[in-house]
Amino acid sequence: MHSLWLIAKHEYLKIVQKKSFLVGTLWMPAMIIIVMVVSILATLGQRGSLPLGYVDYTGLLRDTVTLPSGEDGRAPVAIQALPDEDAARAALEAGEIQAYYVVPADYVQSGNVQLVYLNRRPGEVAQDDFRSFLCANLLVEHPADIQQRMVEGASITFRSSDGSQEIESGNVLDFMVPYITTFFFIFAVMNSGSYMLQAITDEKENRTIEVLATSVRPGELIGGKAVGLMSVGLTQLGIWLLTGVLALFVASFFMTEVQEVRIPWALLGVVALFFLPAYALTAGMMTAVGGMVSDLRQGQQITGILNMFFVLPLFFITLIMAKPNSPLIVALTLFPTTAFVTITMRWAVTTVPLWQLGLSWVLLVASATASVRVATRIFRLGMLHYGQSLRVKTLITLLRTERP
Amino acid sequence: MTTVQVSHVSKSFGNVKAVQDVSFEVYPGEVFGLLGPNGAGKTTTIRMILDIFRPDGGEVTIFDGKLTEEKKNRIGYMPEERGLYKDLKLEPTLIFLATLKGLDEATARARLGSWLERFDLQDYRQQKVQNLSKGMQQKAQLIATLLHDPDLLVVDEPFAGLDPLNTRLVKDIIEELRQQGKTVIMSAHQMHQVEALCNRIVLIDHGRNVLYGEVDKIKRDFAGNALTIEGQGDFTNLPGVLEARHHNGTWSLTLGTGVDSQDVLRAIMRRDGVKLERFEIAEPSLEDIFVTVVQRAEQEEATYA
Repeated sequence: MHSLWLIAKHEYLKIVQKKSFLVGTLWMPAMIIIVMVVSILATLGQRGSLPLGYVDYTGLLRDTVTLPSGEDGRAPVAIQALPDEDAARAALEAGEIQAYYVVPADYVQSGNVQLVYLNRRPGEVAQDDFRSFLCANLLVEHPADIQQRMVEGASITFRSSDGSQEIESGNVLDFMVPYITTFFFIFAVMNSGSYMLQAITDEKENRTIEVLATSVRPGELIGGKAVGLMSVGLTQLGIWLLTGVLALFVASFFMTEVQEVRIPWALLGVVALFFLPAYALTAGMMTAVGGMVSDLRQGQQITGILNMFFVLPLFFITLIMAKPNSPLIVALTLFPTTAFVTITMRWAVTTVPLWQLGLSWVLLVASATASVRVATRIFRLGMLHYGQSLRVKTLITLLRTERP
Repeated sequence: MTTVQVSHVSKSFGNVKAVQDVSFEVYPGEVFGLLGPNGAGKTTTIRMILDIFRPDGGEVTIFDGKLTEEKKNRIGYMPEERGLYKDLKLEPTLIFLATLKGLDEATARARLGSWLERFDLQDYRQQKVQNLSKGMQQKAQLIATLLHDPDLLVVDEPFAGLDPLNTRLVKDIIEELRQQGKTVIMSAHQMHQVEALCNRIVLIDHGRNVLYGEVDKIKRDFAGNALTIEGQGDFTNLPGVLEARHHNGTWSLTLGTGVDSQDVLRAIMRRDGVKLERFEIAEPSLEDIFVTVVQRAEQEEATYA
């Protein structure tokens, strides 16, 4: 058992110290940070610090109308009446306002308004503020709550076709997280699978495997590699998760939409439960392939096909959205290689029944355990046939006849 | 009591019979040579000893029993082609391999320093293995084999890639291990490199035992079958001579079984234009003996056929 942990530690350090791992792991947080910074900068720049001016030829608009706070919770842009277009132009050129609107006399009939600016058009948020200002003026005779409703718009709830899943418009994470998780999982599985395959074929090619085989049991060797690989997966997941949470935390100071976001803990719990056995299953499958082939290139051809078994649910994405509880989708939920991706994608549109989650998890754990065990035997048999690739037919015969 | 006992082991890969009915015993404290040309079946035999391959037939025992996980820690194995991670640094690699053999990290680190110094590798401890020369990698592999202080060392072609100075160093270390009572099984195809080191040998050709026993006794048995001659003239195609090699003005003649050296002398003297300056019954090298044995077997086979 001690050797298993030594091998796990060795594999873990070997992979996390690789440049390809660092690049593969850190590009995601880097992207999140870049997107977050750009979003915050964009939000901050949307309103501008200078007031917006307007020249009103309708006689309907009044400065005294108070605008409700914007969706981001910040004070709306200051809006300043100007007597005529000459005065407005002078104020604009003097840098006293960022732009001005000309509201023509037939505005109520035509809805046309002209925006005049120098070099930089006011941001979307500032323009929204002026639209709200117009709206509030038109509704000045109505009660404040009606004004508020008109300015804020409707709060939409998304409901799946079978009625089993509801998502409020403010909580986009409910919808986004399953898809983001699916993407992460596929990326992580393919990454780790290739690490495992490379580790095994490298050891076969450089004969390190002979030294290892004369030091530890095959089970400890493969188990150690699987644990090491799972730790790598957890590290990757942890870094991504931590960056995501930190990004949301920081963004919440600048964007009120983010404050309303609820982290879908239930889904994250399911992800945590399914992630490790799914990783172990991958590790077992890749070890088996590594044990069978004589070089990396040959192995990569086979793993390309095996990876398809993990990404298969993506081909049924339309069906998952439309009929998330159809028999085929339930079958994909229960099938070990497709379970993770199917469950996370279904999560966005329906409530996955508890019995399906439980059965799927049990099947996944059982197949992961079996895959590591069979992989250990295949690996051992592959060693016995050193330098030669094992054909599937030969392999089956050997699995039946060779003593473990 | 034997350290290793190999009894009638056989191994085939498809239609190729790599090892056929090979048997030998290795005793504690001896340096044992597993000799033979390339492709003779030496490495396959070693892999069967270490349970990397399972024999199709026959039996192997180590330390008077089957190879167990506990016994693995008493064995140091150096494969023919270097078994080190190319893309890892030297020191962590060697420490990792030593810890797998039951050594704790602190002890492994402490021992490693002196070995690196002895093999002149201390300046390369933080270098990646792939950046080391072939000879350095061979030395590093030897350290990996020795670091956990095993009772049995199995080294496959230990001198491959080493310069004469390092070959001397490795021979000295093997001699020290013998003096410490360790058992060493050494495989080599260049027999002259190991014959002085080995107490006993088994000679394998085409997967079969062709010679087995104490080196001194084998040499005594085959003495008289080789001649060293110096002089002028043609010393080839002499009756009863299996092979005649000319090197630096000296002829080495390998005689067939039962051939009398005096008959060879008389045959030389009968030749025209021959001037004999030296005629000596030589102690045969293991290579000479190997050639004799193999050619004898071929002659017997041809006669039988």
